[in-house]
Amino acid sequence: MEDVLSEVCSSEDLKVFEKKYNDELVKGLVSSTTQFEYACFLVRSRYPADIQRGVVLLEELYKRPEEIGKRDYVFYLAIGNARLKEYQTALNYLKGLLRVEPGNRQVQELETGAAIAGGAILGVGALIGLGMALAKK
Amino acid sequence: MADCPHTIGVEFGTRIIEVAGQKIKLQIWDTAGQERFRAVTRSYYRGAAGALMVYDITRRSTYNHLSSWLTDARNLTNPNTVIFLIGNKADLDAQRDVTYEEAKQFAEENGLMFVEASAKTGENVEEAFLETAKKIYQNIQDGSLDLNAAESGVQHKPTQPGRTNLNSDSQPNRDNCSC
Repeated sequence: MEDVLSEVCSSEDLKVFEKKYNDELVKGLVSSTTQFEYACFLVRSRYPADIQRGVVLLEELYKRPEEIGKRDYVFYLAIGNARLKEYQTALNYLKGLLRVEPGNRQVQELETGAAIAGGAILGVGALIGLGMALAKK
Repeated sequence: MADCPHTIGVEFGTRIIEVAGQKIKLQIWDTAGQERFRAVTRSYYRGAAGALMVYDITRRSTYNHLSSWLTDARNLTNPNTVIFLIGNKADLDAQRDVTYEEAKQFAEENGLMFVEASAKTGENVEEAFLETAKKIYQNIQDGSLDLNAAESGVQHKPTQPGRTNLNSDSQPNRDNCSC
């Protein structure tokens, strides 16, 4: 549990907030708070399908009018996308946040982390590409 | 501090310090103080070996909230978790709204360590983390903190003799970032 991209939440915690979300869903109205809490745990899950679901819930929250927590949704969208290895999408969200808050250290650090992780994958891709080019010769 | 945004969820940090000749890696989770993050931040208490609870000496409301933070800290951590009370903004003595004596008494009544510090000048900041680590180390030495217990918050790394991991959950009532 070293950083925001690698730490995972416990499945017990996730279940608690899943239940809260489902209970409200059955009643017909899920509050922003409940949806945000559930999404925060989903993007910290070890399973990509959960993370994907968290991203969808956050996107939906972001589109709701008059939301006060849009900055928080965008940050968690960046975390979710980076954890799904959608680094470019994550970096785009973070660039947006940095335009509003250029000095935000949390955003800067996540940007560095996502850029390094994304770059490392590009690096491996380039090496494989090179290997294949050499093999063809 | 115009450009000092609220923490989003949790900010992670690590720091290696030395206590009694042992290298100790502190893993620090700076948790958001806003109510909207309470559910998220609560999930980080478990497994913390120490907690730094911060209020603002110039704003009484932050001091008044301490008992609810302390309840969370006590309920969600193990009985040996070291809890350190910190009065931030000690540099703004002229605007003080909570006396040193009052906070000291609150700390004593609740078995907390206590210091006033300033994130702005750095006064007592390093000391607070060091003292927390020393107290955790002491609890390990005298046997009151069992390293084998689940969620002790401490990992001993046998491959690297003398390196111990301490999770220290810092939980400020915001407005105290040093940016």
